[in-house]
Amino acid sequence: MAETKTITLELFRYHPETDSEPRFQSYEVPYDEDWVVLDAINWIKDYVDGSVTHRWSCRMGVCGSCGMMVNGEPKLTCAAFLKNYYPFPIKVEPLVNFPVERDLVVDMEGFMDKLQDVKPYIIRDDVNDTSEGEYLQTPAELAQYKQYSMCINCMLCYSACPVVGHEDDFLGPAALALGHRYNKDSRDQGQSERLEVMLRSEAMWGCTFVGECTVVCPKHVDPAGAIQQAKAMGAQEYFKRFVMPKGAGATKGAGA
Amino acid sequence: MSGGQYHRPHRRAWFMERPAYIRFMIREVTSFFMAAYLIVLIVTLAKVGVGEAAAAEWLQALSTTGWKVAHAVALAATVWHTITFFAAVPQAMPIYIGEDRLPAPIAKIVMGYGPWLTATAVILWGVLR
Repeated sequence: MAETKTITLELFRYHPETDSEPRFQSYEVPYDEDWVVLDAINWIKDYVDGSVTHRWSCRMGVCGSCGMMVNGEPKLTCAAFLKNYYPFPIKVEPLVNFPVERDLVVDMEGFMDKLQDVKPYIIRDDVNDTSEGEYLQTPAELAQYKQYSMCINCMLCYSACPVVGHEDDFLGPAALALGHRYNKDSRDQGQSERLEVMLRSEAMWGCTFVGECTVVCPKHVDPAGAIQQAKAMGAQEYFKRFVMPKGAGATKGAGA
Repeated sequence: MSGGQYHRPHRRAWFMERPAYIRFMIREVTSFFMAAYLIVLIVTLAKVGVGEAAAAEWLQALSTTGWKVAHAVALAATVWHTITFFAAVPQAMPIYIGEDRLPAPIAKIVMGYGPWLTATAVILWGVLR
């Protein structure tokens, strides 16, 4: 009878009530080439150690819950196949640049606050009655921002960004890309209001364009590109305010 | 939030952690060589403004091996910085034709290498004709 193949997972463990420092704990997991790292962690939790704490939900790259460091790379563990690491051990840690709550779970509160800072919703000067119909948009107008609307808030980009690791107040890639997404939406009239936040020094000007946020993004959002475009938009807005202090404002409106 | 969260220590040598960070640092360092060469260029223009003798004396001073090596390093740094700059252009300045975005390789030529080579050809034509 063939011997069952196994693979070693080294999990970051930290229980605040008992641990003053984190440690790594190794687990032997059955190797199945269809399994992803998340399957292996779930197997450990179900059959070996129920105290292992991690966050996950959809298991198919949609919810953005299962982001972790896999051998030092920020990844969705539901999309990281064991076969890409076998037969070597896999080291799994919580996302870097975030406080660790417990084991593989990080504190998302600061991230959520930053998302809200950029006013991630359509802002209108006038709101039409629903009887007047939808705010129409052409495919070309949709193409301007669609890529930036695909973010699943998995926070991998925050772990890949060295600026996030060194500047606590930096708004970060996902929040800035989300702000840019609404600034590029033809139905939105809140560009000026939103840029008020994004023009702050700790916002988009903090980005040094390392570009790793774009590389690790599982949804191909390209936050680095969005931020550079937002910088150009912000520079135009700044210049307009300088030349026409009272006339500056949102440059685009939209009709129903 | 209750206490007890673990905060990883700040990493001073963060730029050594990923190859991409090292590439980023190299790109940033090339700016220093470009700035240094710009100073040499400004001094050269100033010498030309003073007169032919001053310019010849300055060019003579620049003909040492040390200066030649410095120029070669500045050239290499400038070329690398230019390549990385053009690589970033399609991300920073996307061009849309209707709902289609111009593919990055074409955008790099249209907004980067094309104008660069054209300008170089015009300058060479002006200098060599």
